[in-house]
This record gives sequence, C-alpha cells and structure tokens, in this order.
Amino acid sequence: MTAEPRLRSARTAPVQPGADPGPGLLRLPAFWIVLALVVAGGVRMALIAGRFAGRYPLSTLTAVALFALLAVPFWFIVSELDFLEREPPALLALAFAWGGLVATTVSIPGSAALDDLVAKLGSPHLAADWGAALAGPTVEEIAKTLGVLAIVLVARAQVNSVLDGVVYGAMVGLGFQIIEDIVYALGAVALAGHGDDIEPVVTTFLLRGFLSGVWSHTLFGALAGAGIGYLVVRADRTWRSRLGVAMLALLGAWASHLLWNSPLFRDGLGNGALALLVVLVFKGLPPLLLILLLVRAAHDREADYYAAQLEQLEDRELITPDELEVLKSGSRRATARWHARTRAGLRARTAVRRLQRAQARLAVELSRGTTDLGRWRHEVRRQRRVLAALGHPEAIAPEGKGPWRRTASAVFSTALAIAVLWAAISALGGG
Amino acid sequence: MGRVTRRQLTNLLGALSLVLALAGLAVGLPALDAALPADRPVPSDRPYAVGGGVTVVPPPGARIDVTETRPTENSGTALFRLGPVRYLITVRRFEGDLSAAADGLRQRITGTPGYQVTGTELTVATGSGLAGLQGGYTAPGRGGRYAVFVADGRTIEVTVSGADLDLGRSLPAIDASTSTLRYDPAGPR
Repeated sequence: MTAEPRLRSARTAPVQPGADPGPGLLRLPAFWIVLALVVAGGVRMALIAGRFAGRYPLSTLTAVALFALLAVPFWFIVSELDFLEREPPALLALAFAWGGLVATTVSIPGSAALDDLVAKLGSPHLAADWGAALAGPTVEEIAKTLGVLAIVLVARAQVNSVLDGVVYGAMVGLGFQIIEDIVYALGAVALAGHGDDIEPVVTTFLLRGFLSGVWSHTLFGALAGAGIGYLVVRADRTWRSRLGVAMLALLGAWASHLLWNSPLFRDGLGNGALALLVVLVFKGLPPLLLILLLVRAAHDREADYYAAQLEQLEDRELITPDELEVLKSGSRRATARWHARTRAGLRARTAVRRLQRAQARLAVELSRGTTDLGRWRHEVRRQRRVLAALGHPEAIAPEGKGPWRRTASAVFSTALAIAVLWAAISALGGG
Repeated sequence: MGRVTRRQLTNLLGALSLVLALAGLAVGLPALDAALPADRPVPSDRPYAVGGGVTVVPPPGARIDVTETRPTENSGTALFRLGPVRYLITVRRFEGDLSAAADGLRQRITGTPGYQVTGTELTVATGSGLAGLQGGYTAPGRGGRYAVFVADGRTIEVTVSGADLDLGRSLPAIDASTSTLRYDPAGPR
C-alpha cells in the first residue's frame, strides 16, 4: 500500500482556513487597545505634520499628495500577492495605519535614543558611520513586526498562511515607508532653508520614493511578517522551532535593513550612475531576491492547498484541469488574461479576471466548509457563459508565450525608469 | 454583563505585552539614553575634526556633546558645551556663494518660532583665511550668535546660544576658537 502524497502546503506551510472577522472582533480587548494605539499615533503624527504645514504649507501638501500617489501601486501589488485568499481591506488598512502611525511614532524617539547610545558607548565617529545602520533597523523592524502581531491578536483567523504574514508585514512596512518619506521630505525642506520650496520634496520623492522605495520597509516588513505567519500557522511544530523561525525572519529583515543603511559602498565610488548601480545591486538586490523567492514559495504552497479544494469538485464548468494549473501561479494567471485579450478582446480579459477571482473565492469557501456555495458557483458559471459567448470558453495560458515577454518588458521598463529618474534627480541637484 | 472568557483574558495579556514592548522602545530606550552622560572632555590644545575636512580648536574648558557630534567624510557636526552655552559647528555640502549660505542659515534661525535676527551682518575671517559673515539673534530668554563660511563646495555654519550673561562670559573664548576653523580636505578626519 502506498501512502497518499502530501501537498507541499501540508509539508512546509499549512493553510488554516478562517472565517471573515465578524462583530466578535469588538469583544476582543486587543481590538480596542490596538485602535487606541493607532489613534494615539495618529494624533502624534498629526501634530508633527501640523507643525510642518504651518511653516511650509505648499511643500506639505505636495509631499502628502506625491507619497499618497506612490502608495497606490504599492498597495495594489501587496494586496494582490495573496490573490487566492484575499485579506479583508479593513485589516490591510489597520496594518498600514500601524506602520504609518504607531511604528513611526515609536521609532522617532527610540531610534534617536539608540543612535545616541551608540555615540555614548562607542564614539561619535561610530555613530556617524553606523548609527543609522544600527539604530534604525533595530527599533523600526521591532516596531513594525509588532504590527503583524497586533493583526494576529485582532483577527487570528485571518492569518492562516505564511503568505498572509507576508501581506500584513508588507502593508505595515508600506505605511511606515510612506509616512517616513513624507517626514524626510519636509525635513529636507526645513534643512534647505529656502522657505516653502517644493524642490527638496520632489528630490526626496524621486530618491526615496522610487530609487529606494522598492527595497525599503515594505520588503523588510514582508520578511518579518513571513516569520510571524509561520509562528502562527505551524501549529504542528514545537513552540521553540516556530519562535526560532520567527526570530530568524526578524533577524533577516534587520540584516537587510542594516545592509541598506550601512556606509558600505557609500564612499569611494562617487555620486554618479555607477555608484548608484553598485549600491542597488549589492545592497538592495540580495534582500529583494530573497524575499521574492520566499513570497513565491509561500504563494505556491498556498496555491497547492486551494487548488486541491477545487479539484474535489470534478466539475469542468467550475474549473477545468488546465485552469486549475493556471490558477496556481500568478504568472500563469496573468498570461491567461493576456491570452484572452489577444484572442477575444478586452471584455474577455475582464471576464477571465472575474472568473479567476470567483474560482479563488469558491476555493476559500470550500476550505472553510461553507455549506451553501450557490453564490460562488453561480458567479463562476456566469463568467464562464460570458467567456463562451466571446468565443473563449476556457481561461488557459498557452505554454511559453506570456511570461518571457512580460519579464523582458519589465526588465526594460525598470532600466529605463532608473535612467530617467537618475537624469531627473541629477537635474534637480540631488545626485 | 457576561463573564470574561479565557480567550479574552489571553487576548488582553497579548495586547498588553504589545503595549509594553512599544513602551520599551518609545520610553525605555530614551530613559536609558538619558541615564548616561552625553558630554566628554575635549582637549583644547589641538584641532578637533568636525567632519568634511574642517577642524577647529575647541575653547578651553569646553566639553563635547557626543549625541550631537557626527563627523563624516563629507559633512559633520560638532557640539561643544561651555557650561550652559551651546557652540555648534555644522559642515555640509553646499552649492552657492557666501551670501546664499548666510541667507539659508538666517531663514532656518528665524524659522523657529520666537527667534529673530538682530543687527547687521559683519564680515569675519579665520586665521586660515576663510572669509565669512557673522550676525546675532535673539530668542525668548536667550541670545545667540551665528557665523557662516563657504569653502570648496561646503558651508561651515557656527551657531552659539545661551543666556545673555553666560554668553557674554563665553563669547571671547568661542570667538578665539572660531578663528581657528580650518578647511583642509587632506587633514585628519
């Protein structure tokens, strides 16, 4: 007798389905305590913003508008990471608020104090070179990771896979990154001493928002969040090993942040495009690749689990075997949408997207043991009929076409964007 | 009123631990920082490297505040304390002339509520030949003096502040120290 092969998700990253947070949330003390912390952080940050707004109204408005705009694509990407089991927007907003209001409020005095301690226990030279690299990551990564723990306390059932931890961690990091960037931009305005001048805001936006934005707090938060996700879902492991992995992930986030803030490669290479490239490649790329691989592994394991739920249906109208393979991978999902557009137009692309969403939701409801699946089955069938009417009945991804083209296009666009940004920053005198 | 469940109690303890950890970062670290002294004696018989290739001979009896002193290759700050008087030197990259540098410093001083620049600016020069502009300012309960120099794409800003009486006592020694400002990119870091 041969043993039933276990899914990768069951072996290394189990999924624990949980229901949507209901009114029961209001009976949890953590909900009110976390809410109070967010409100207190909001008041503190509003006071800081108010001081800047009084002195530099135009710059404040510009900084808030630019960085709010920057948050939109980041938010979209982070919330799309878990396509199959999407996180409730209210919890994503709470994670963002924790990062932007609580973690920042705590980090301002905490990092300054730790920087001072480096100078006192070491020397001003040590603090000048390594103060920002040691103090910032130590305080900020802890404060942000506490945000993911806050989400666990408020809605434990919503952190049901490692990928959920990644999403909440990234969202906490994004909130932190956006608010920190606004404060930095306004600090640059004050330091320039040219009154209410928006040039330092634009330079900060290009430097911190674009060039440093990709490998910044969102990334570090995602790594630490993965550890919390593991801590919560791997109930089959010993408490010690789960805690060990969570600490290791936090250490990874801290080390990535330290590397980014460190003075390594800062001097000696000048301020030209080559120096920038070296910094991006050696300080930003390794953590970025590590975290992308981690996200992919977590996503694939979660996808295995939900695909297994849909497989049980054995109903080709709800999902075909080829669609099941497509649904498991973000790249193949995107290729299927692209394929639908090229074959049957934009309406087909939209219908494929809706079909994939409905199939994913059906899988989640199946995993939760929902007895009445009529609503979700109906939505899948509706999109199937739309696709059939458009002459593209199956949301499949042809082998070997879409991913390569999209990857090449993404690499080219990124290189072009960096070149344009570098030219813009140099023209503004920020280089 | 319902009973407190075990789950609610655990949840409360978890949330309080969260608050405790945050307090450790926001209050504990600053408290630990405040418990340790920030100033150290600094020799006044040899140049002190402020950063960015700038050196100064500190006034006799001055102590360096390590929390506000950050010397780096291209820029730096050094804060000396003579009793209650603050003597701050800041070096940073700057593209512009002396007048623009003085304008920027004045704007930053007057940008603080209650701070006003007084009198007219005078030209000053250091022993090493750096030419600069010097002026004064007032603030509630304290007075101050500023000076600014420009050298090789860098601005060297000096601000001195303290109560009028203390300032009057310390200014001669600080003026003597300011006149020792030297820019030497090949010099000690």
